[in-house]
Formats: sequence, structure tokens, C-alpha cells
Amino acid sequence: MRASNHKEPAVNRREFLVRIGIAGALIAGSGLAAKKLWQPNHFVPGFEKTEGAQLRSYALEASKVLPSLAIAHGTKHEKTFRATMAALGGMGRFIQKGDVVMIKPNVAFDRPPALAATTHPDALRAVAKLCFEAGASKVIVADNPINSPTGCFFKSGLTSVASEMNLDLLYPETNSFSPLSLDGEILKEWTFFSTPFKKATKVIGLAPCKDHNLCHASMTTKNWYGLLGGRRNQFHQHIHSIVSDFALMMKPTLVILDGINVLMSNGPTGGRLSDVKPMNTIVAGTDMVAVDAYGYSHLLERDIAELTYLHKAQERGLGKLNWKDTIYKEVTV
Amino acid sequence: MADAQKKATVNRREFVRTQVPRAERASSVVILVLILGIGTLIAIKGKHFDPNLFAVRTEALKSTMDAVAGKSGTAASSPGENPGNIAATKNPGGEESAPAEDGGEKPAAAPKPALKKEPLEISLDGTKPMGDTEFYNSDNLYEKIDGRAPAYQGFNILQLRCRSFGVNGAPGSYVDLYEYRFDTPIDAFGMYSLERDPKGKALAFVADGYSGEMGYYYRQGAVYVQIIASDMKPETLAKAKSIADIRAKDLPVDDTGLAGRRKLPAEGMVADSVAYVLDNAQGQASLKDVFQAKYKYDGSEVPFFIMVAPPDDAARAWQSFQDFCGKFGKAEVLTDVNGGKIFRAQVFGKWKVVYQRDGELGGAFDVDNADKARAFIEKYLRGEIK
Repeated sequence: MRASNHKEPAVNRREFLVRIGIAGALIAGSGLAAKKLWQPNHFVPGFEKTEGAQLRSYALEASKVLPSLAIAHGTKHEKTFRATMAALGGMGRFIQKGDVVMIKPNVAFDRPPALAATTHPDALRAVAKLCFEAGASKVIVADNPINSPTGCFFKSGLTSVASEMNLDLLYPETNSFSPLSLDGEILKEWTFFSTPFKKATKVIGLAPCKDHNLCHASMTTKNWYGLLGGRRNQFHQHIHSIVSDFALMMKPTLVILDGINVLMSNGPTGGRLSDVKPMNTIVAGTDMVAVDAYGYSHLLERDIAELTYLHKAQERGLGKLNWKDTIYKEVTV
Repeated sequence: MADAQKKATVNRREFVRTQVPRAERASSVVILVLILGIGTLIAIKGKHFDPNLFAVRTEALKSTMDAVAGKSGTAASSPGENPGNIAATKNPGGEESAPAEDGGEKPAAAPKPALKKEPLEISLDGTKPMGDTEFYNSDNLYEKIDGRAPAYQGFNILQLRCRSFGVNGAPGSYVDLYEYRFDTPIDAFGMYSLERDPKGKALAFVADGYSGEMGYYYRQGAVYVQIIASDMKPETLAKAKSIADIRAKDLPVDDTGLAGRRKLPAEGMVADSVAYVLDNAQGQASLKDVFQAKYKYDGSEVPFFIMVAPPDDAARAWQSFQDFCGKFGKAEVLTDVNGGKIFRAQVFGKWKVVYQRDGELGGAFDVDNADKARAFIEKYLRGEIK
């Protein structure tokens, strides 16, 4: 019955146990390796069980003397940014020597800068310059446009600024995301563009001020939407809730609203110069709700009563809707 | 019992390893290599997460669509129909007719057929495509225009195709071409109207279009075209103009359902005031597919509407409108002008002057000065306002 009558030496107990041990270790090792390799790259929103990380706060301790909101009026980006930061106490208040600063622009679309649908290259240039002057060792620029990131950064003019100023431009890649946990109204567990935060010691949000078809306005709070991964458009059904969650999710060092040219209509994409109005204002602060409240009423020239997400954020104690209740300073260049 | 077990152990047959034939060894090696290969492939594939993995694939629903087509509450599907012409439906007589203009009920919305992905090719000296043509449908439009997508979905967008063209010799300068295809010319017109620049200059080469400081925007057939220059350099703007010309010539003209729009006189029209009302215009169930606009006339602004329908339907709608005005206000029939019947009415303090001539019904509405409104309508009927 046997295929062969060849005899091999018998396996003794020791050898048998060794072989069993090796086989078991190999199986266990393969399982562990598979789990380690598989989990981070297969985070499917809605299907995950693993609890994600929470972002740490990058905010400074609130000052009882220095302004938390500054408004500067001027026509040139750099001069107006400098005036804004000077009114806040200088960039040195926020950025110290050796800091790695992550700047989050809004580069959601592949539009030219003149259409004001994305963060203006002059705005990025000015803020990066101020960061380096304050002693930053590195400036990281990162956003997760749904459309081709390279196209969006290139057409918005930010690629050339990054190259010119030696900024670290981080494009989102598959392994740039990891799960984030939040006790938000809508945002609970979601995949998040986490790589830029691994090295950053300070975070600055740099947003254009613009009309938005769904939530009325896209400013500094809405800007953080660009850090979410996955099919994030499903949140559009609860847009005011999700945007208010960003005030909980992010505790940035500083937010800056660029209102030199404002996209007043047909946002968030725009497409016509006639949609853009020069408002010649930069607003910066530590409270994104207050900054956006100013932007909505004074730059987009609309009634703040209708901007639900800011009201929601204020109700949850995430900021002050009445920006005049903060310590603020207004200057003209 | 214990002795018996011990005996059995002692007498256990010695384990003898059988020699494995070479063929069997080779097969084992092949199987192991295959397992390793498959594992590696899975690991590599796993590193490239596809966000569309769990997306609904509408083409997979085609068999379901076919199975229920024509059944209760479901419109018959016509898979072979050219999507570009779906605005015009074939009637039993075989003639093309616009459903909106025959006065009858519109069929229930049919499932949207998938459009072919035809690349946008432009043959224009001095330009070079910067990449491939991008295609988006209603479901994934947000990937290109994110939060703006719902506005387009509201007008039944079928497809966006877009491509960028670099301007040779001008690094950083390019022209973006966006073509949004809707289900009907009316919907394309609706979206075009929503985004229209009130300061735009009218284009001569298309019926509905204007140029802005950085681009060209028009509706041609069921397509809303946007051509956006990256900057205001003369050479970039010239390329944008050329691309606008080329695309206007290539796209078929189709004004199905826009007969009313064509009838709106151009003289004195306030540029950004044209609007389309699908049904229940002026609060009248019989006023459907109405176009309206504001006109500057004799120092005032006169809102004016127009509907094109079969003559009998237009006559009935005119009579019904007059009855309504008489019920809620004061209506008076005026002398006919150039074949047009006219009534004027004051309802809730505002004046209306409404005419009907053959298959055309229109009028001035919400006017403070009845004489001006009447003069405007009479001049229009005499062909003095074109």
C-alpha cells in the first residue's frame, strides 16, 4: 500500500517538539505580521473597530492681556499679514525657535489664485516667511484635496511657493492616514490625514474667505475639513454639525483668514472674477469661531444669525461668536 | 487496564518516514511558492486603498433596472438611446417632440444612462493638453468640485468632462475647459443662469453665453461650458477665446424646451434677469415651462414672462389666468393688438397685462404703472421690441 518502502530514521520526541515549536512560531509570527501590515492600510470608515488617536492641542495658553483676535486692513498680503501678527503680539508669541510649523491651506480645487477659491500663494509666502523669521526650523504645508493633490497645489500656485521657500509640501498618500477618534456631534471615528502632525509642534490654519453652496461660508473652521480622508462627502448631509465638530477636533496654534480678495458668490469653486470682491482685510486669532464670525459678517457681509455651524460651536463652548467679546485689535496698513 | 496500555505503547510500531517522490516534492514547492506569491500580492494590493471599493456601481444595477422597467411607477428604459439627445423623446408618430411643449404630462424620470467617456480633443496651435480628460458623473462630481456638486445635481447633471491645456511658451499659463452635460437643454440653461455673471458680455457665437474677465461661459444644447484662463495675459485669454469658439462649433445646437427663451426679446433686457419656471408660474397650474426676464422700459423695470404651447392650450391658459385675476382682483379685456388678445388686471395692488397670440402667452406682471405695462406689451405685439 505504501508508495515506497524506503526507511528514514525515526523522529524522536525532542525533534518532534522542536518541529512543532518552529511551526507554531511561524504561524503565530505570520499572523502577527499580517495584522501589523493589514490594519493601518485597510482602515475602512464605518467598518473599523480600532479606536483612533486624538489630536493633541497645539493652542497656546490664553492671554489675559494680549489680543486673541487681530484685524488688519491693507491691500498687500505681506504688509497686511505683518500688521495682523504685530497686532496679535508678533509671530514670536506663537512660534519659537526650532518649531516645526504645519500650515494647513485650503487647496480644495485646481483653480487659479485669482479666483479666490484656494489659499492665495502670496498668503502662504507671507505666513511662511513670518514663521521662519520667528525661528521655525521647518514649515510643512499639507492638505488633502479630493481632486488630484498635485494638480490642485500646482494650479493654486502653492507648489511654486513651496519650492521657492523650501517648504515641506506633503501630498496625501495611502499611508498618510490613520484613524481619529472624536466625541463630535457627527464625527466619531474617521480616517485622518495624520502624517503632517507627527512632526509638527505648531499648527496654523490659513484659509481663504469664501461663499459655500452648502454651508454658506468656508473660512477657518471649515478649512479643517481638508484633513479628513475617505468618502467624506457623505458628511455634506450634516454639514453644519460636521463643521462645528472641527472646532472640537482641532486646537490650532493660530488661524488666519485671508480676506484680501473674497469669493462672494458661486462658492466654493467660483470660476469668475465677478464672484470675487476685494475686501482688503486679514483676520487672525486663536479662536476660530470669533475669526469666522468677523469674516462672515464683515467680509462676506452676511447675517451671522444664519451661520448654523458657528452657533453650534459656540453652544458647545468651542469659541465666541461675538468677536467683540474677545480682546481684539484692529489696524490699518 | 494500565498494564494493557503500557504494553500497547511498548509494542507501538516504529515510525517510518516514507520517501516522498520528487514529483510530490516539486508540487509542494510550487504550492508554497504560489501561497507566498498570493500573500505578497494581497499585501501589495492592500497598501493601495481604493476609496471606491464600497461605492455603489450603478452599472451593476442595470439588470435590476431592466427587470423593473415599465412596471408600476417605473419609466421604461431605453438603453440604446443616445444620451446626448435624451431631451427629445420620440412620440408614437416617430416625430421628435419636447415633452414640455406638448402640454401633456412629462414621463417619469428615466434612470440616467451612463455617458460615453469621449476625450476632449482640441486642435489648437500653441496649446498642449496638460493631462488626460477627466470624467465625472453625478455620483462622483464632488471629487472635482466638492461642495458645489449639489447645485449641479439639482439640475440633473449627467457628466462633467474637463481638461487643461497649457499655453506653449508661457510657463504656468493654461486654460481649463469644463463641459457639464445635463439631461436637457433646459437644465443646462438653469445651471448656466444660476451662475451667470451679471456683468458678463454677451457672446455672439452662442445663444446663451457671456465672457468674463478670465473666461467664457455658455450653454450649447444640454451642455454648460466653462472655459477659464489661468491669468489675464493676452495670449492666455486669446487661447481661451479660441477654445470657446472651437467647442461652440463642435457641440450640437439643441434648444429643445427653450422656445420660450428664444421668444424673449433682447432689447432692454436686464442681463442677469432671465429665469426659468418649471410649473405653476404666476401661481397658475396652466403656466408651465415659463421664461421670464426684467426689461428696462421708459425709465422703469418691467418684469415680463412668456410661455410657448399649443394654441388651444395657450388660449385656455389665458382665459384661466383672466378668470383668476377677476376672482382675486379686477380684470378688464383690452382691444386686440396685431392678432393678440390682451387683458389687464390689478391683483393685490399690482398690475398685470397678459396677452395670447397663437401658441404664445405672455405678459407684464407685478408692475406699478398699468399704462407703462400696457404700452410695453402693445409695442412687443407690434414687433417694435425685438
